[in-house]
Amino acid sequence: MNLLELNWGLLAPELTIIILAAVITIADLVMSDKGDRKIFGWVSIVGIVIAIYFTLQQLGSPVEYLLENSYRVDSFGSLFKLIFLVGTGIVFIMSINYIDKEEIPHDGEFYYLLLTALVGAMIMASSADIITLYIGLELLSFSSYIMVGIRKKNLKSNEAAFKYIITGLISSTVFLYGVSFIYGLTGSTNLLVISERLPEAFTNGFDFYVYLGFFMILVGLSYKIAAVPSYMWAPDVYEGAPTPVTAFLAVISKAAGFAIIIRILVTIFVPIVTEYNFADPSQTEFFFFEATTYLAIIAALTMIIGNTMAIFQSNAKRLLALSSVAHAGYILIPLASMKSPLTMSIDISNMIFYLVVYLIMNLGVFTVVTIVNRDADTEDITSFRGLYHRNPLLGVAMSFFLISLAGLPVSAGFIAKFNIFVSAITVKSYWLAGIMVVTSVISYFYYFNIIRQMYMRPGRTEAKLRVSNSLQFVILLAFLGVLLLGIFPNTLLDFIYQNFNLADLFTVGFQR
Amino acid sequence: MDYIYSNSYLSITIFILLGIMLPVAAIEMVSPLISPKKPSKEKSVTYESGILPTGDARVQFNVRYYLFALLFVVFDVETVFLYPWAAAFERLSQYSVFVLIEMTIFIFMLIIGLAYAWKKKVLSW
Repeated sequence: MNLLELNWGLLAPELTIIILAAVITIADLVMSDKGDRKIFGWVSIVGIVIAIYFTLQQLGSPVEYLLENSYRVDSFGSLFKLIFLVGTGIVFIMSINYIDKEEIPHDGEFYYLLLTALVGAMIMASSADIITLYIGLELLSFSSYIMVGIRKKNLKSNEAAFKYIITGLISSTVFLYGVSFIYGLTGSTNLLVISERLPEAFTNGFDFYVYLGFFMILVGLSYKIAAVPSYMWAPDVYEGAPTPVTAFLAVISKAAGFAIIIRILVTIFVPIVTEYNFADPSQTEFFFFEATTYLAIIAALTMIIGNTMAIFQSNAKRLLALSSVAHAGYILIPLASMKSPLTMSIDISNMIFYLVVYLIMNLGVFTVVTIVNRDADTEDITSFRGLYHRNPLLGVAMSFFLISLAGLPVSAGFIAKFNIFVSAITVKSYWLAGIMVVTSVISYFYYFNIIRQMYMRPGRTEAKLRVSNSLQFVILLAFLGVLLLGIFPNTLLDFIYQNFNLADLFTVGFQR
Repeated sequence: MDYIYSNSYLSITIFILLGIMLPVAAIEMVSPLISPKKPSKEKSVTYESGILPTGDARVQFNVRYYLFALLFVVFDVETVFLYPWAAAFERLSQYSVFVLIEMTIFIFMLIIGLAYAWKKKVLSW
């Protein structure tokens, strides 16, 4: 076998971004210190569009892999890569408008760290080897650590970066320790090999270590999606980070966390059967569908803590941080309410749908927050006062994003939540669905507080609030996305159902 | 097999316990019993290789030491990777072009790092 003859074209989306990051790094070094680096942002957006094109080309093709599945292209990974690419593209548009040479002296670095973080996220979605997945996780994490602390002179930014790196390293340690148990039982880091060997280890009396590995992997990875038990970093880090980075953490980093959680947990643990029922195969008991009870507890706690703590926040970014914690709880529900292999495909599709909707509405909200906070020079919720009178369109768009986050009808957020609610009801997880409804009602309180500030409180000034063209474009795009997906959700749902193939997670695929 | 797997943890636990117990026993329990207690001014002075200690215990380093150390580590690791690569190059002859390209990319990435440090004036003292 000649390594040169392998189909390296599979790496096209990642290679595009890596080459882009390398080129921008060199260009940043050559450019004079005073030079305007906004051009890097636009070049990156062009590169991301090319990468989206390559990813769309790969969508729908059978599973292919390179180097013993340490890199693979499958429908699951490609769908997630599209989420990351589109999200990062929008974050770039936000950043170009946000970056201020006074505040962020290293603006060149900002652009290519965003790109390397994107590469990390993409690797997290398209590998079936724990080592490679971990490299992707750390690439994303380390780039984020630097981006969080990139406002070098800002005390909060520094504090946030410090907290983020400490909690991140602890979680990585827990994750790796959990993986070491699984490796000890199976002797492989390849997910597909592990999924073959782990059931045998489980039935041969190692069930305790399988449980231990399951919990430690779950706890270690819960940090990336900011779910209980490691959600505490979220408010501080979201507050201290520059707003586009906050948006990146809330959307892309979280989606990448879900990608790696689904990939590892589902591929490794679903094949483990605790009790065969030969008479009636539909009654066969699986390890994973019993262990999801613990996932359900995590999801419930995440929803309760996120939503109740958000009520007490007066800082807009802290509020959105806790709201994103709560949303992590909602997105976990389909995974936590899996009760048989039959519903898995639709459950994971629902999660992907929710992540897309979450991406659109959250990027919309963060764009508005960027504009308003810049203008008022404070991140307090009071900065939204009188927004409707200063810029009616911005006010309406923001209210619609918040309505969508709260999950009220005629918005995409409602459809996404409703899907999840129905999937939980059909498998009779009534208590989980109940907690979801109750905590959603609690969340109305803080979302509508912002809306009330915009319409019913007088602002400091009545001056018109101007919005740059590119940000107007982003807000329009997000508004249309939330509205159209609220009215015609089937276009996207059908796209996901058609392109997502659950069997891809378990097939080895082929190598050309 | 379960037995053996748990057994290896047992030995680790014993090692950890012994590792903690021994110094504790030696320093905290045995030493106070058998050592004579005649403190004098010279004896309670901080020991510094037989030389009289001078100045403050807190010494400030230039932060550049760390940057130099970091750069050194980067290129040290590069050597660690390059050496087995060079040693095994002959046996990898069927992939030679591929392996060469791979190492070129690796070195190129490190050179970007060096150029970055250079441009950011890390190397100027």
